[in-house]
Amino acid sequence: MIEELEIILETTSKILQKHVNHSLRQNIVSENTDILNLWNEIEKNGLPKISVKEKFGGYEIPFFSILPLIKIINNHGTPLPLSETILSNYILSETDINPPNGIVTFATDTKNLQIKNNMISGEILSVPYLNLSKNLLIVHELNNVKKAILIDEINGEIIHKKNFLAEPRYNIKVENLNIAEIRPIKNNIDFNFLGAILRSAQMIGAMEKVLDLSINYCSERKQFGRALSKFQAIQHQISEMAVELSASSAALSTITELGLSEKNSNDTAILKIRAGFAAGKIIAISHQVHGAIGFTKEYELSYFTKNLNSWRNDFGNESFWEEFLGKRFLEKNNKNLWEYLT
Amino acid sequence: MSKFNFPFIKETNELSNLRKEVREFITTCVNNNEFTPSPDAWVFSADPSFSKKLGSKGWLGMSFPKEYGGHQRTALERYVVTEELLSSGAPVAAHWIADRQSGSQILRYGNEKQKSSIIPRITAGECFFAIGMSEPDSGSDLASVKTKATKTKNGWKLEGRKIWSTGAHLAHYMIVLARTSPASEKNRHEGLSQFLVDLSLPNVKITGIPDMTGQRHFNETLFDNVELSDDSLLGEEGKGWKQVVGELALERSGPERFLSHFTLLDSFINEFRNSLIYSGTKIVGKLMSEIQTLRRMSFSVASMLQNGESPETQAAFVKELGNKFEKMMIETLREFSNIVPLHEWPNQLQNLFEDATLRIPSNSLRGGTTEIMKGIIARQLGLR
Repeated sequence: MIEELEIILETTSKILQKHVNHSLRQNIVSENTDILNLWNEIEKNGLPKISVKEKFGGYEIPFFSILPLIKIINNHGTPLPLSETILSNYILSETDINPPNGIVTFATDTKNLQIKNNMISGEILSVPYLNLSKNLLIVHELNNVKKAILIDEINGEIIHKKNFLAEPRYNIKVENLNIAEIRPIKNNIDFNFLGAILRSAQMIGAMEKVLDLSINYCSERKQFGRALSKFQAIQHQISEMAVELSASSAALSTITELGLSEKNSNDTAILKIRAGFAAGKIIAISHQVHGAIGFTKEYELSYFTKNLNSWRNDFGNESFWEEFLGKRFLEKNNKNLWEYLT
Repeated sequence: MSKFNFPFIKETNELSNLRKEVREFITTCVNNNEFTPSPDAWVFSADPSFSKKLGSKGWLGMSFPKEYGGHQRTALERYVVTEELLSSGAPVAAHWIADRQSGSQILRYGNEKQKSSIIPRITAGECFFAIGMSEPDSGSDLASVKTKATKTKNGWKLEGRKIWSTGAHLAHYMIVLARTSPASEKNRHEGLSQFLVDLSLPNVKITGIPDMTGQRHFNETLFDNVELSDDSLLGEEGKGWKQVVGELALERSGPERFLSHFTLLDSFINEFRNSLIYSGTKIVGKLMSEIQTLRRMSFSVASMLQNGESPETQAAFVKELGNKFEKMMIETLREFSNIVPLHEWPNQLQNLFEDATLRIPSNSLRGGTTEIMKGIIARQLGLR
């Protein structure tokens, strides 16, 4: 399986290197044939169903093992919801729903959701790339039972569209929309945890790119007669980016190795806190060392920093997970901190 | 970036059992009033009899070979033991440097006589070391050391001054970095050598320097034409720089870079647990996430050391992040005094806190400053 995964990582890098460029990111609409071609190439290689069970036509590689793939996808700044589709399809497959072909985006959040006669009404919030997707996964808790809901013909009123982000995001209001599939989710599948892990892996992939961009830019750009990278003030700032990034990567590899269980749910919290905090630092420093060019639409830095900004807020920001961690420990009154940590 | 990975290393059941064993031992010591937990204990709190006790338990020189009295256990086992000692604030300062770096340095570079005469005593907790790097005119710029060793008929003559030598007044030996030939213009790192210096030799003068807390651990060590025997040279003549860089990897990556003030955090939480449930879950969670990430990284470096790698850069990452965490922790606790005023904290906790506040500036100086760590990282990133 490790060999198989390595081949997949290599192939993916090649495909993305060939197809993704910054002008593609400027035009994320379904009419863009380059976007469609890229998706077709991705689908042809089975990437959307990489963690889907074999009986549904997938590779059945565990979701946690493919986090390096999520990193690569976002290191290339791929302007498609491939990461979202991989997670949606994994959840559907684990819920014994056959994942559809094509893009499957998800609802980050919902409001006033009602389900009647196999139809759904309410607000579906912060949906990435809704404009490219026909399929949507909603995870919703009804009478203490979590359910996966698959919509295969999205149709609704757009109540908010976030244009300033790198990736398109939509809030929509739906009324009596047909549900394609609805099933209770297994206990071990927690959408909020999986979403936090997904966003963290995406952030780490993007932060690696931002660090590389910063190093390259500062090595080439000359001021006061020498490269920016020769100024100690710049070196120290970039070192700080590397330190934050390596701490986040360490937290991610814990999840890649251990997966997610009741026993190690703290590791997800630690990962999202660490990656979100690092993203804040890295956004600020990368823009600082890039100067005005980094602030333009034309240069690719902002594509990555805009995404970092939205991902660090998805599925619980640092405060949310810090409270989660602190509460879990403090409310268990029987252990002192060191015993708890070890 | 791939070279800065910190692979995940699992704590096996054997390691957890060892952890339990050390913890029980420490609890017994505390219950018998053998020591009072104190902050920064690996620098300030020396108790040779406690060190000897650890030696007899087999918890010093753990990874050293059996033929020199070691226990041939892994760097990961040593890591677990040091974590337990640090988190409980045990008085480990006497043997700390010998066990952490000097012993390994002698095993790696020393001759047979040096190994067989010193390593078994380190392992027994009977032989302590001080670091001989900084000088009055050489701090961060270590390659500028002026201490000089000149060849004589029977060995070497050592002349110079080392400073900030923590624990030298209790130590038996110091590994001294000295110039054995002038620096070449192109490469200042050439011409340096390391010496294993017996601190009881004539013409070695050790003078204490009280630090800003008023305590003594710092010293100035004067070598006034000290006669060294021929086999005092550690390793190869002229290769001192390469040797000292490896020594620093051992010095920088351990859990003392983020657990120095853990006893304070522990007492703080035990005292204020009930108010923290209402108003401090976020700050406790933040601190927990930092500690766990640092433990993950430091443990990973221990495994790199175990595999014979040279994780100098990774060690700089751990030290830099650990130093930042400790400063942040003190600030976080200080801000909590908005909820329970500091003067209402129990006396012992107030003392721990004020003590830590005083000591914290030193954490990003000792073992290499923040600026040096960032410089090391910048070099690896190709910036310099």
